[in-house]
Amino acid sequence: MSTYRWLIRRELWENRAIWICPAVIGAVLVLAALFGRVDVELPATAPRGPAVGGLLLFALGAVFVVVLSIYCAWYLLDCLHADRKDRSILFWKSLPIGDAATVLAKLATALIVIPVVYFAVADLATLLIAFIISIRASSWFGASLWRADLWLQLQALWLYLIVTAGIWFLPVAAWLMLVSAFAKRAVTLWSILPPLALIWLERMFFGTHEIAKQLSNRLLTGYPRTAFHDIPGPVFTGSHAAPGQGVDSLSVWPLLDPLGFLTNPATWIGAAVAAALIVLAIRLRARSTEL
Amino acid sequence: MSPLIEVQDLTKKYGSFVAVDHANFAVEPGRIVGLIGPNGAGKTSILRALLGLTSYQGRLRVLGLEPLRARAQLMRQACFIADVAVLPAWLRVDQAVDFVAGIHPRFRRDRAQALLQKAQIKPSSRIRELSKGMKTQVHLALTMAIDAKLLVLDEPILGVDLLARRSFYDSLVNDYMDETRTILITTHQVEEVENLLTDVLFMDKGRIVLDASSAAIAARFSAVAVTAERLQAARSLGPFHERRALGKTVMYYDGADPGVLVAFGDVHTPSVADLFVAKLSGGGA
Repeated sequence: MSTYRWLIRRELWENRAIWICPAVIGAVLVLAALFGRVDVELPATAPRGPAVGGLLLFALGAVFVVVLSIYCAWYLLDCLHADRKDRSILFWKSLPIGDAATVLAKLATALIVIPVVYFAVADLATLLIAFIISIRASSWFGASLWRADLWLQLQALWLYLIVTAGIWFLPVAAWLMLVSAFAKRAVTLWSILPPLALIWLERMFFGTHEIAKQLSNRLLTGYPRTAFHDIPGPVFTGSHAAPGQGVDSLSVWPLLDPLGFLTNPATWIGAAVAAALIVLAIRLRARSTEL
Repeated sequence: MSPLIEVQDLTKKYGSFVAVDHANFAVEPGRIVGLIGPNGAGKTSILRALLGLTSYQGRLRVLGLEPLRARAQLMRQACFIADVAVLPAWLRVDQAVDFVAGIHPRFRRDRAQALLQKAQIKPSSRIRELSKGMKTQVHLALTMAIDAKLLVLDEPILGVDLLARRSFYDSLVNDYMDETRTILITTHQVEEVENLLTDVLFMDKGRIVLDASSAAIAARFSAVAVTAERLQAARSLGPFHERRALGKTVMYYDGADPGVLVAFGDVHTPSVADLFVAKLSGGGA
């Protein structure tokens, strides 16, 4: 176990962007809260009340999630390629570390460590921003940010996202790692072109779009459909967001569908595909030296 | 005691190019073996196969293990510098020490730190800030601090200045080497290592052309500086190489009786470097 601890620490040393990037985003958002306009004139018909503050908190989180997804994809494409390119693989391979441990530590970094770092930084930034806004903005807005149930939901949503997205996107992550272990150059092209070629070949020879459908399901529509309820429950409660009236609360609980996610075959088919791709990546890693 | 390294019919091909061609040799514990050959002779391919870095054909056992399958296990008892300047540029020297100390059960931190201090390398420096020679020193410090049964060094002192090279080789023999350890080393600078080698392996075009201990070399090979009038007589004894030097012709013999050779001139044991040139420039005789 201590091997994995050191391997992950190594990843944090090498990729300082893991914490610098969210820290910069957090700092920019905090500065915006400090010096930007916070007292937005809402039209008279817009809803006021606690839910508005809640929406702001979730929107802040969304900024981090978007950057996190892009960074993780980049990290996975780079992680088994960079040390072959700079030849430092010859140093790492002189140490008693198995290739499986190396690959799995990098996968765990991308799907657990990096998201947790973003979560922590996002939480801290959101807390600071809520504090700043509640001092600077009008009282109803400030007060709407300080609701224990909102913060609890925010934490729960982050954790739910980290776990379910981590599992759902496993095959995508594994594919990126495989490309990273395999490609001599142009890792980005290698990650995109083979799937595109498959889609094209299928259309040419069978006239069907099954692969395209599967891929777009995995990358885009499948995740929200599997991990969240199809028909959202009443997110806004209280006076049902009638124009001009107060909205009492905001609830994400009815949206989450952990049971549906865990019992969906697509979840576990994806995980099985990922396992096969990871085994391939480990095999490639065992036979690769510098480029 | 079984050999530490056993190589049987080792062949390594890159496409149609044969880098190593049915090599056979064994290395016993406690030896310092020089693997010597010109560029492209296949030295590095053999080392890579021994270290589990590449696939190969043939049979290979290092410390009783099959390197490609059990590299991680092998690296607990063996260590290597496969090339110079392969430490990652982003790594800090103290991080490198921490990491190896955390990962390697046989790493001695105090030893690494003493070596780094001797080379005047600041622990807080990043590898990218160091000169090529200093990078090599860091790598050597990390490697020499591992209590390994087998140390493999591929051109280990490239980029290091003469003084540091001398002191490295001195400490290799005096502080590091003992009867439980084995060192396999390749280098272009044969002159610098020949006095510390107990065995030499010459390679040319993928083949092992000579596999002998230093003692056996002294017993087997002789060189005689022959004057022009005795040339024919000396040639009749079948030297495997001739070289013109200072108006005389130096002839190299394999297995000739020094008592007979002495009639032609001064007999001496050729240096490993001379023997290397003689063996590999081939023909001549």
